[in-house]
This record gives sequence, C-alpha cells and structure tokens, in this order.
Amino acid sequence: MKNALASVLVTSAITFSASAQEAFLAPLVEQSVLLDVAASDYLVVVGERGHILTSNNGVDFTQSAVPTQSTLTATAAVGDRVWAVGHDATILHSADRGQSWQTQMQEPDLERPFLDIVFWDQAHGIAIGAYGLFYRTLDGGVNWRAERHATLLDPMDQEYLEQIREEDEAFYQQELDSILPHLNRVTRAGEKLYLAGEAGLLAVSEDQGRSWVRFDVDYTGSFFDVQPLDENTILAVGLRGNMFVRREQGDWEYVNTCSDSTLNSVLPLQSEVIAMGNNGIIIHAQRPLPVSEPDPYASSVTCEPPAGITMEQISDKAAILNAVQFDGKVIAVTANGIKQLNKE
Amino acid sequence: MSRIIHFLEHLIFGNRRLVVGLFALLTLFLGYQASNMKLDAGFEKNIPLNHPYMQTYMKHRKDFGGANNVLVSVCDRNGNIFNQNFFDTLKNVHDQLFFINGVNRSLVVSLFSPSTRFTEIVEGGFAGGPVIPADFNSANPRALELVAANIEKANIVGRQVSNDYSCAMVTAQLLDIDPQTGESLNTLALAGELESKLRGQFENDRISIHVIGFAKMIGDVADGAKDVVMFFAIAIAITAVMVYFFSRSIMLTILPLLCSVIAVVWQLGLLTVLGFGLDPMSILVPFLVFAIGVSHGVQMINAVEKRAVSGMGAKHAAMAAFHSLLIPGGIALLSDTVGFLTLLVIDIGIIRELAITASMGVAVIIFTNLVLLPVLMSFLQFGEHYVDRFANKEQHSERFWSWVAKCSYKKPAAWILAITTVLFVAGFMQSQHMKIGDLHAGAPSLHEDSRYNQDTFLITDRYEVTVDYLSVLVETSPEACTSHSVMKAIDDFQWRMENVDGVQSTVSLASVAKIVNAGYNEGNVKWQVLPRNQQTLVQAISRIPSSSGLLNGDCSVMPIILFMQDHKAETISRVVDAVKQFRKEFETDDMTFSLASGPVGVMAATNEAVAAAQIPMMAYVFGAVIALCLLSFWSVRATLSVVIPLFVVSVLAQALMTLLEIGLTVSTLPVIALGVGIGVDYGIYVLSTMSYRLKRGDSVQLAYTKALQERGSAVLFTGITLAIGVSTWVFSTLKFQMDMGILLTFMFLVNMLGAIIVLPALARFLWPKRNIDTNAD
Repeated sequence: MKNALASVLVTSAITFSASAQEAFLAPLVEQSVLLDVAASDYLVVVGERGHILTSNNGVDFTQSAVPTQSTLTATAAVGDRVWAVGHDATILHSADRGQSWQTQMQEPDLERPFLDIVFWDQAHGIAIGAYGLFYRTLDGGVNWRAERHATLLDPMDQEYLEQIREEDEAFYQQELDSILPHLNRVTRAGEKLYLAGEAGLLAVSEDQGRSWVRFDVDYTGSFFDVQPLDENTILAVGLRGNMFVRREQGDWEYVNTCSDSTLNSVLPLQSEVIAMGNNGIIIHAQRPLPVSEPDPYASSVTCEPPAGITMEQISDKAAILNAVQFDGKVIAVTANGIKQLNKE
Repeated sequence: MSRIIHFLEHLIFGNRRLVVGLFALLTLFLGYQASNMKLDAGFEKNIPLNHPYMQTYMKHRKDFGGANNVLVSVCDRNGNIFNQNFFDTLKNVHDQLFFINGVNRSLVVSLFSPSTRFTEIVEGGFAGGPVIPADFNSANPRALELVAANIEKANIVGRQVSNDYSCAMVTAQLLDIDPQTGESLNTLALAGELESKLRGQFENDRISIHVIGFAKMIGDVADGAKDVVMFFAIAIAITAVMVYFFSRSIMLTILPLLCSVIAVVWQLGLLTVLGFGLDPMSILVPFLVFAIGVSHGVQMINAVEKRAVSGMGAKHAAMAAFHSLLIPGGIALLSDTVGFLTLLVIDIGIIRELAITASMGVAVIIFTNLVLLPVLMSFLQFGEHYVDRFANKEQHSERFWSWVAKCSYKKPAAWILAITTVLFVAGFMQSQHMKIGDLHAGAPSLHEDSRYNQDTFLITDRYEVTVDYLSVLVETSPEACTSHSVMKAIDDFQWRMENVDGVQSTVSLASVAKIVNAGYNEGNVKWQVLPRNQQTLVQAISRIPSSSGLLNGDCSVMPIILFMQDHKAETISRVVDAVKQFRKEFETDDMTFSLASGPVGVMAATNEAVAAAQIPMMAYVFGAVIALCLLSFWSVRATLSVVIPLFVVSVLAQALMTLLEIGLTVSTLPVIALGVGIGVDYGIYVLSTMSYRLKRGDSVQLAYTKALQERGSAVLFTGITLAIGVSTWVFSTLKFQMDMGILLTFMFLVNMLGAIIVLPALARFLWPKRNIDTNAD
C-alpha cells in the first residue's frame, strides 16, 4: 500500500517536473522579459518563465500563480476569461480575470511555441505559432484541435504540395508540416482575420481562419504585425524596420522608416500610428503615411526619414514587444519589463 | 631563576666591550641586509587560499582568469569619444597595456581588440564584423560614424564604452607569474608602469586616464606607505623631545632611541635574511617595534636613573636595573611575541607575514633594550649635578603618586570597578555591531578623495560595469551545456539570484544562449528561450566562444556571474547565503554550484576567514598572555589583575571600531591583537613590583605606591609618548593607516590608564585581607 502510494507520488512528480513547475513569484517580475499585453477592463501581461501579471489600474501589477515555467508569448482576454499561450505548445486559461490559471494544453515534445492567440467570443478562438502551428477551439479551450493551412504557403509551394498530394496523402501531410512558415501574429477586424508571418507572409481570412488568401508583397523578410488602421488601410511591419501599407484594396506600398531595427507591433493612436521594435525604437507615423520605392542599397547611417515619420528610442534601448491603450495611458511590454510610453 | 639572572648579569657585564662589539657587528650585518629590503605586494597574500571558495577559485583560474584585473578607462575631457585624437590615444593605450610585462596578452580587451565584434540580423541570417574594421582610419569622419554605428550594434555601451560616450575601456588580466623571470609577478613594478606608461604618457588636457584594479590599488598604497618614513621621523622626534624632558639628559635620550632603532634595523634585516619583503599593508610594524622598544627603554633608563640617584655608580645602577627588569621586561616582550605569533593561525598570507614581522621585531627588543641598553648605560657617568636634579624631581612625583595610589583604596576602587563594569557592558553591546569586511565603496585602504577611489567612482558612474562581481561556478560533466535540463537549472538559479537584493544583474552561458537563440530566430524576443531541441541548443551555444569566460573548453564548468550593487559585507553575505539556499534546489549528483570566483568571491572568502579568525585569535592572544603571567607571577590573582583591564580595553577598542565605521578586515583584524600585545607591558611592569612586595607581606596600598614610585612615571610617560606618536597617523594619506592610528592611540592610552587605575582597584578586592584602608578612607 505504502509502495503503491509512493509510486503514484513519483509518477505525478515526473509529469510535473517536465515543464509543469509553478512559476517562481519573483520580486523583479515587472522588469523581466515581457512579451505581450492584452486589455479588457483590466490588463494582462505575459512573458518569460511563465510570468503572468494583472492590473486594474495600469500602474500596480500583481504576479499570478501559474502552473508552468514555460515562456508565454501572447495573451487574449474576452470578458472575464483570459488565455495565454507560449513555448512548449502551452495554452493556459483563466476564468477569473487572470487571477488563477489552469493548463489547457502543453506538449513540449512538439518543440514548437505558440506565438499568438485570438478569440471571437468566450468559446471560439485560434492559437498560432511556429512552423504553421494552428489550433482551434469551439468550446472555450476545453478541446483544442490542430489544423494545417496550406493556403498560407506561397503559390509555388502550394502547387508543389498539390502534386505530392495526388500521389501520397501521408507524405503530403508530412511535407506540409515541415514547410509551413512561422505564424507570428493574427489580428481580428470584425469578421476578417489578418495574419503576419515568416518570409513575407501576409494573409487575410473571411471565414474565421478556415481558409486564407495570401497577399502579394514585394518583401521576403518576416512580418511581425499586421493591423487595419481603418476600413481601407492596413499596415504591416516586420524585420529591419520594414513597414508596408495597403490602401483601397491596392498594392502593398513601402514606407521608409530609416530604421533597421525590427518592428514588432503597431498601435494606432488618435492622430498618429506608432510602430515599436527592437533596440527600444518607436516610429511615429502621421497619416496619410508617406510611401516611396524601397532602396536596397540605402544605409541607415545616412538615411533621412520622409516628412511625417519620426523616430524615438527609449532610454534603456530594450526591445518593445507590444503596447495597448489603457485608462488613458499607453502601456508597453519590453525585454526589460513593463513601461508606460509617452502619448503622442 | 635568580641564579640564572645572576649568571647572565656577570656574563654580560663582565664582558661589556665584547657585548657591545658583538651588537655592533650584528647591527652592521643586518643593517646591510635591511638596506636591500624591498616593498613586496602580492594579490594572493591577501586572500585565504585554503578557504573552500578560494580552492574553487584556484582550481578554475586557468579557464576563467583570475580576479586580478586592471581596468583602464580612457576619457575624452570634452565628453565625446568620436574624434581622431581619442581613437589614436585609445589605440596607443591598448598597445601599451598589451606590452606591459605581467599582463595576460590574450585577455586585453578594448574596441581595438579583434574579439570586439558586432552581429546584426539581416533577412538572410546574420551579418557582422569587428567593431573597428581593419581599414579603420581615425582621420576619416565617416569611419568614426561607422564605428559609432557598430558600437551600437555590438551592444557594448556601458561595458567597453561609457553610457555617455565620453570614455572607452581597456581591460586586462594579470598573470601571477612573471613570464620573463619565472618568479611571482612584481605587482608594485607593474603598478608603476601603469602609472608612468599609461597615465604619465597619455593623460593631457584632452584625455584623462583612469586606472583601477588590485595592482593599481596596492601601488597607490605603496606610494602612500612611503610617507610612513616621514611619520616615523615625526614619531622619533616627538619621542626624543619627550624622553629628554623625562630624563633631562642628552645621553639618556639618545641611548633608548638608538637601541629601539637598532631593534627596527635588526627586524628589517632578519626579514630580508628570511627572504621576506615588506608588504605595504604591514609597513606600520617597524614603527610598532620602535614604539615598544622605546617603552621598554624608558623603563630601563628610569630604573637606572632611580638607582643612580640613590648613589650607585653608573655600572652598578645599570646592572641592578638589568637585574630587576629582565624578568618583567622579558615576560612582557615574550607575551608580545607569543601574542603576535598567534596571528599565524589565520590562514591569510599577509596576516601571517605580519605575525612573523611583528613577533620577530618584538623578540629582538629583548636583546637590544634589555641587554644592550643597560650595557651601554653602564658606561655613562652621572655627575653630582644630575643626581641632585633628580632627587628634587622624585619628591614632586612622590606626592603625585600617593594621590594616584588612592585608586587602591576601598571606596575609589569600588567606584572605579563600577565605572569599568558599565563601560565594559556598554562597550560589549556596541562591539556586537562590529561589521566584517569593507563598509565603504572603493578601496578601503585609501581615502575617499584619493585618485584611485575617484577613478573607481568615475568608472562605476559612467559605465554599467562594476568590479564588484561574484561568480558561482557550475561544475558538471563534459558537454553538459548541450543538455536542456542543465541549462534550464542554470537559467532558473540565475533568475533566483537576480531577484536577491544586492544583485544588480547577472550573466551566464544560459542567458547568453537564450539571446543567441533569439538571434537565430530573426532577433525575435519571443524566441529568447533555451531550445529543448538539442541541435538547436548546440547551434546557439556554438556561437559563444570560451574566451567569453562563460564556459571552459568542454563546457563542464560554467560560471554564473553576479554583478553586485556594492561590496559591503552585508551585501556579500546576503548574496552568498542566497546562493547556498537556492543551489539546494538545483544541485544534482552531477551538477554542483560552487562558490566562488571574481573579486567579490575573494572578498566573501576573506570576510568569512576574518570572521572565523576573530574569536580564535583573541582566545590565543589572551591565552598566551594568561599563560605567561601565570608562569611569571605564579599567582592567579596577579594574572587576573593584568588581564581583566586588558580585556576590557580590547572590547572598548572593538566598540570604537564600530563607532568609527571601521570594518573588520585583513588590515584591521591584527590591530586588536597588536594592541593587547602592547597593552600588556604596562600591567606587567606595575604588577611585577607589586607582586614582589605583596609576597613580602606588604599591603596592596603600600605595594602599589611603591610600584608607582618605581615604575609609574615610566608607564605614564610611555603611554602618552607613544599615543602622541601614533596619533600623527591621522594625517596619513592611507585610510587604513589613519584607522590604525586612531585605534592604536586609543589602545596605548587606555591600556596605560587601565594599568594605573583599574589594576590597583582590582588588586584591592583580589587581596581582600591585605589592606590598610579599612580606616584610612
């Protein structure tokens, strides 16, 4: 009896040691690497080592007890319910505004991180990540089901895969699994979903992400965010300061930011839009955005930004991952923790 | 016993000229040796090499370099480094430092070293190169612009370039063994070269040079220590004037001083013969030897003079003085010697050297001041005039001494003991606040406004680097860095430590591997994790060379470097305790988190060794004093009357240290032991007369009055003279000499008061049946 009990304890200890250790409640958690922030009528911030912080006023943050130490990369809040996703294919859920958390999914063996999550309502959502990682739930995360979207591939790859599929379905699935790009960011705009990813991937879906249409962009580097600014304008940012804008269903046009720091996120404010990135760079852009032809030989040392574009660098030069407006403030998450940015 | 003394007396005074001749020869020989004396400083002497932390440190020193480094900050006085003059100077400083003998050439790092590279992420992967390209031309403003951009990309602002771009750093590590001579590195010569070849050559109205590191610090201490010669001269002058007032005779002034100087010469000569140099940190010892010599010399001239006044001829007076002082003087000096020798138990090289230097110095006084001095005095002629003058003086002092003797009467004695008890309790409580280690920023041996400490403050202000770091060495099996679980344990432990108050930032192979992993994923911070996939982990780690100091060749040892806010003892012990606590959680059979390396690791070991040595040292010093008192007086009561005041004073001295914010360090630890050694002399001289009288059946009061008449003036005089001499150290350029000056002044004066005031009061109650005061007070 004693042995049986002991073996039960050992088994549970093993399952927990994999990655299910409790996150360490750290005094310096607010200065740790924090990777995403979501706002409802409260704030949720997630980051490295399973750090989750919540705040009701945007000033005082409390770290929640979390059943994982895996780095969390993104979070989404709908009403009182919050989800957080991250490395080791982790999906966490809280039904009480981020106070207490349960694991809905965790598969370290996949060796793939989730990089973003979006919910339409408290039941329907998708989580996306590296190598085309794509999971959907219809029941608030009780069940998560994997999907693979070949439509996210560029047309040449899609054509190649279709040829394989005719011959061998299993090989097709295997090939698809390895060829899919990183999916970095998904943004909901009404019934539409926009997606930004690796190797020039920008795509839109009108059916909750079940099928995708790839945009044609003259850039092969990675995009990290795509945001509709209004009915007719979409802005995408990515590697080495690249910024592209699409107006009135037209072509994607280049916006010269004169920065070679990667831009991670876009935040539309009242009269301008800001793009935040590595090295603590913040690009302030007045609308309409000035577009130009990209110059592949331009040097950032000598570059003069066009009218309407100004660049700012925060003092500690920490990479800024994302920011939200909350309670009249702009709250950003950075590699050095939570920061309040000056508005306008 | 007295037969032996008798024999010695006849042997010595029977062959006076031979004795003087022998001493003269020895002095010539040792004086010649002493003239070859070298100042000698070494890093390792200052650390407890057998402490477990230092064992770890020594074991891995080859892989990770030592804690003995030099930081040279080259600053542009206009506050902007991007000009031709600055870059040319920086390059020259780099080259010059590279060629200074004793510098580990593979570890000289600055903007100009090829290992200073930048990496940037481009669409296809990485791009990078040296921060200063091979075709760099400092005259070209575009080249400077490019370097500015590269510095930004290389992420070295705050480390190799100051935060405000006003300075750039050249760092180097020092070897322990001089590659040219094969002997241990001459730190002082190196410090001199740093001063002349770097600062002397390149500092001008456009450039300032700031140098810190142990070698420079000890060099500055040695420079300051040269002032000791001046303080020595001042002390001799003061003492000479005082002795003259005491003895009213030029010859009687010259002789004790001469014999004390001979003691110093012998001591320095013997040190050289034994192959030691004089460390700047123990440069004060010769002065102590001189002081103790004078103290015994004055007793001797006092005794001779007393006998001469009573009508004896010089030779017989000298013989009688020799006879009566050999035992108390010998005992006192022997207890000093043994007391200082007990410092040998402390396993820190420099304290051991101090123990040898000081005990040898005190031992030679037995010869110079108890033998040579009376022999020399026996040649003197005391004229009638002299004898008259003193007879007069004796009468004056007799009145004074009978007044002082009241200390041994019941009522005053009770008051004295009550006040002593109160002082002791208060002092004891205060002394419990004694802090271990350095209490202030910068180098504690030097004043805060010294150039060295100002340079330290400038560098810590303008850069994010600090010389205050501690490495925890993760020791595990070869290739362990390719294991996710090992790396995660390091990373988790590191994060725990970063959250400890006093730790400013941390770095390890794990934390750098995470950043490299993000680099491999287009610099996306969301990938700043330790990859679970082994190939991916290896890919990240393979970009980190072992020259980074974060791993050894087969990555079986990986340091976690903790940068500290300061090196105060409390901060260090808090961080060390946290390491000991947290590592329990992460250690496995195959992975240990060992303390410690880095400058703060050395300090932690030193602090622990000093703290551990404090109580044993006191126990041994007092043990030696007690044993010798018991042996010589053959009386527990006599021993108690000597030791109790001594103990109270040493507790009060510790209380004084806490009040003056002097921490217990390698340099202040021996002061209390030295103080006890010096303080015991007074008690032994006073009590030896008393004990003789008490044994004859005299009352405590009479015995004490007699003791005062015989030796009181010498005791009082020595205490005041030595205190005045030592108190001039307050003006020293060296902070630790100033601290020692204050403490020793206190010990000299208060021990003297203890022997004159507290000792008789104690005696009054320790010999309860031998008093005449029942009616007298």
